[in-house]
Amino acid sequence: MLKYSVKRILGMIPLLFVISIIAFMFVHLIPGDPARLIAGTDATIEEIENIREKYGLDQPLYQQYFDYMGNLFQGDLGQSIVTGRPVLDMLLERFGPTLSLTLASMAWALIFGLLIGVISAVKRNKWPDHLSMFLAVSGVSIPSFWLGLMMIQLFSVQLGWFPTGGIGGIETYILPSFTLGAGVAAIIARFTRSSLMDVLKEDYIRTGRSKGLTEYKVINRHAVRNALIPVVTMSGLQFGFLLSGSIITETIFSWPGLGRLLINSITARDYPVIQSEILLFSLEFLLINLLVDLLYGFLNPKIRYEEGS
Amino acid sequence: MKLSRLLTVLSLALVLVVAGCSNGGDSEEDTSSKNNEKATPPSSEEGLTIAVESNFTSLDPHDTNDNQSYSAQSAIYEGLLGFDEDLNIVPVLAKDYSANEDSTEFTFTLKEGIKFHDGAPFNAEAVKANIDRLSNPESQLRRASLFELVEKTEVLSEYEVKVTLKEPFGAMPNNFAHPAAAMISPKALEQSNQDLARNPAGTGPFEFVEWKSGDHLTVKKNEDYREEGVPKVDQIKFKPVPESGSRVAMLQTGEADFAFPVAPNQVETLKEEDGVSIETKPSLVVKYFSMNTMKEPFTNPKVRKALNYAIDKEAYIKVVYDGYASTTKSVIAPNTQHYEEQEVYEYDPEKAKELLAEAGYPDGFETTIWGGTSSLKQKMMSFYKQQLSEVGVTLNVVPMEGGTLGDKIWGVDNPEDAELELYNGGWSPSTADADWGMRPLFSSNSFPPDAYNTAYYKNEKVDELLQKGLSTADDEKRGEYYAEAQEIIWDEAPWVPLAVPDLLYGKQDYVNGLTMLPSGVMDLKQAEIVSE
Repeated sequence: MLKYSVKRILGMIPLLFVISIIAFMFVHLIPGDPARLIAGTDATIEEIENIREKYGLDQPLYQQYFDYMGNLFQGDLGQSIVTGRPVLDMLLERFGPTLSLTLASMAWALIFGLLIGVISAVKRNKWPDHLSMFLAVSGVSIPSFWLGLMMIQLFSVQLGWFPTGGIGGIETYILPSFTLGAGVAAIIARFTRSSLMDVLKEDYIRTGRSKGLTEYKVINRHAVRNALIPVVTMSGLQFGFLLSGSIITETIFSWPGLGRLLINSITARDYPVIQSEILLFSLEFLLINLLVDLLYGFLNPKIRYEEGS
Repeated sequence: MKLSRLLTVLSLALVLVVAGCSNGGDSEEDTSSKNNEKATPPSSEEGLTIAVESNFTSLDPHDTNDNQSYSAQSAIYEGLLGFDEDLNIVPVLAKDYSANEDSTEFTFTLKEGIKFHDGAPFNAEAVKANIDRLSNPESQLRRASLFELVEKTEVLSEYEVKVTLKEPFGAMPNNFAHPAAAMISPKALEQSNQDLARNPAGTGPFEFVEWKSGDHLTVKKNEDYREEGVPKVDQIKFKPVPESGSRVAMLQTGEADFAFPVAPNQVETLKEEDGVSIETKPSLVVKYFSMNTMKEPFTNPKVRKALNYAIDKEAYIKVVYDGYASTTKSVIAPNTQHYEEQEVYEYDPEKAKELLAEAGYPDGFETTIWGGTSSLKQKMMSFYKQQLSEVGVTLNVVPMEGGTLGDKIWGVDNPEDAELELYNGGWSPSTADADWGMRPLFSSNSFPPDAYNTAYYKNEKVDELLQKGLSTADDEKRGEYYAEAQEIIWDEAPWVPLAVPDLLYGKQDYVNGLTMLPSGVMDLKQAEIVSE
């Protein structure tokens, strides 16, 4: 498994290289002149030229690309055009808050999602199922900006239990992580339900039941475990999305994370920051994918990691 | 793994994550128990918390161009001159200043005995170091243009300094009063630009403490501040809160003592709140839409006037700003220096139709407006569409994201090639001076891409007047030149000027002395917490 992991990780390098090219092209193709946007609304043409020159934006595109790649290979992600700071510093500063918020949200989402999913599959077409699926559909369809603002209104303004935003102690995590986790919980619940229902139709479940195993043991020991494989894949993807910084939630709750940094950078056409964020997000997805694949083997030991698999 | 075990593990993980995260956080504020009643005033040690709209970009004033950053900087830095609440120029670090007849030489006498936060003395050498930095094109600072005319800066004595310009520039004192012209400690200037942006040292009432990007920026009282009894709070914490609903919620819960800006449609929510009040103040911004005077049918002044008569500006203010704006009676806002009131084009659709018929468009015409995508801007443009349809003009509204819009307008080198017909814009002269309120918008040297004359307006007399206004330091004469220029522009109507929006901010009743300058920069010096 170690060998497999190392191989996979090495395999990511050419992929990241390709992504870096695409990221570079992508940001330079968006219309908008960063120098003008960053210089501000009442800047003079000289000030705009200054910025262009300072950040090499007056160079031909291929030159900019070579400079960018050259720096990248030395581990230098460049300098933000807006703040003038090294991009790496900015990303590191924002990564922690996004990661911790994501983990908290995923934890909520997994607990509630799995519970609701299992309950509704087992109690199919009875009221707990209807209630659970009602919640799940709501979770997916309620827009997070609405949910977030409602939570602030209820729990911060009316009840005064939690702060409206910012990062600090545990209490600052509750509202944003719940807002962010709600949608994911709903998706996990739906996946768990359908996957578990499929598994419950399988022969080995019938065998287990006819052997006289209790319903609890059948579901707990045999069914859920097998039903989890598609759920894990999906959760991995969701985790990746959350880790890319949930822009809306971070904005509403003034969370100093990557999502807010990304949206600010796009508005300002802060090329080096956008490029680096794309690279970082891609790397995160690749690593999570690897993690998901490794988890398969844990859930179903019949899955083996072999040469060439 | 059993499901129950999995769940236990997950719950444990949750607890660990949350606990782990909370380690670094300082849970200083107890926000519970602050529900819908009046917020209790913080002690002066706790200080004030101010919710602002976006992240600060830099603490290097010379390299800053956003008001948000200027607000934080105004706590830390001071300039030779500054603006008072009504935007009059007042001496700050300078005791006095004088200019020669043709405004090419400015001599400053400095206040004595002032020290920067890092201990460096404030004197003529320090001033020279700052102006040299600002006027050196190689330093590539964002506000270098304010001092690009400086030829040399001389130290006359320890507390006297003379700045000589390459050519006459009557608005120079405004540039010295601009927040970007703040005096930085010469010791701090020795750092790289990048370090300086995060390690400021000025002479202001507050000293820098820490800045966590995206989360907060804190300043504390400068114990050695030269004025007795100032500052009145020990600490100020700025929190960037991008979502306007969240800023309002913070005022409601008492997490913020002051919030700027407040959206017009949220004023009602806050009005019902006990202990919170909303204040308004006219800004320096003029909202307008410009008409490309080089393009049919806007080459005809009658058409341009017709559009001016066709828009009900009172209704505009109600619809777009919920009433929190005032009609504009010139192309610059009343708080701008040398403002001269003009006779408003009153709402008169019949007259508009007549003018259109006279100009040869009895059945109206079709045209296109470009503007931004924010909901406010889209609302404005839909409003014009509705109003213009009443006089037979069909308006196509094309909202564009900022960068795209900029490319379309400023990507054009030749005025004849400009596709632009109408442009929904706004302008705020950061120096509060008529020159910067008009030259970038109406001088024929200011066609895009050089500046912001989106009307492609060209009038030789106006060009001459704007130039004359620059060439003298005599305020009275300047006033006359700018008054005449405003009159000509108003009469030729390259714009439909719409409104001067108010600055809207919310505060707890116990906050006193914290004011907003019309430019949108906060003045924190006198801020205090008063108990009833």
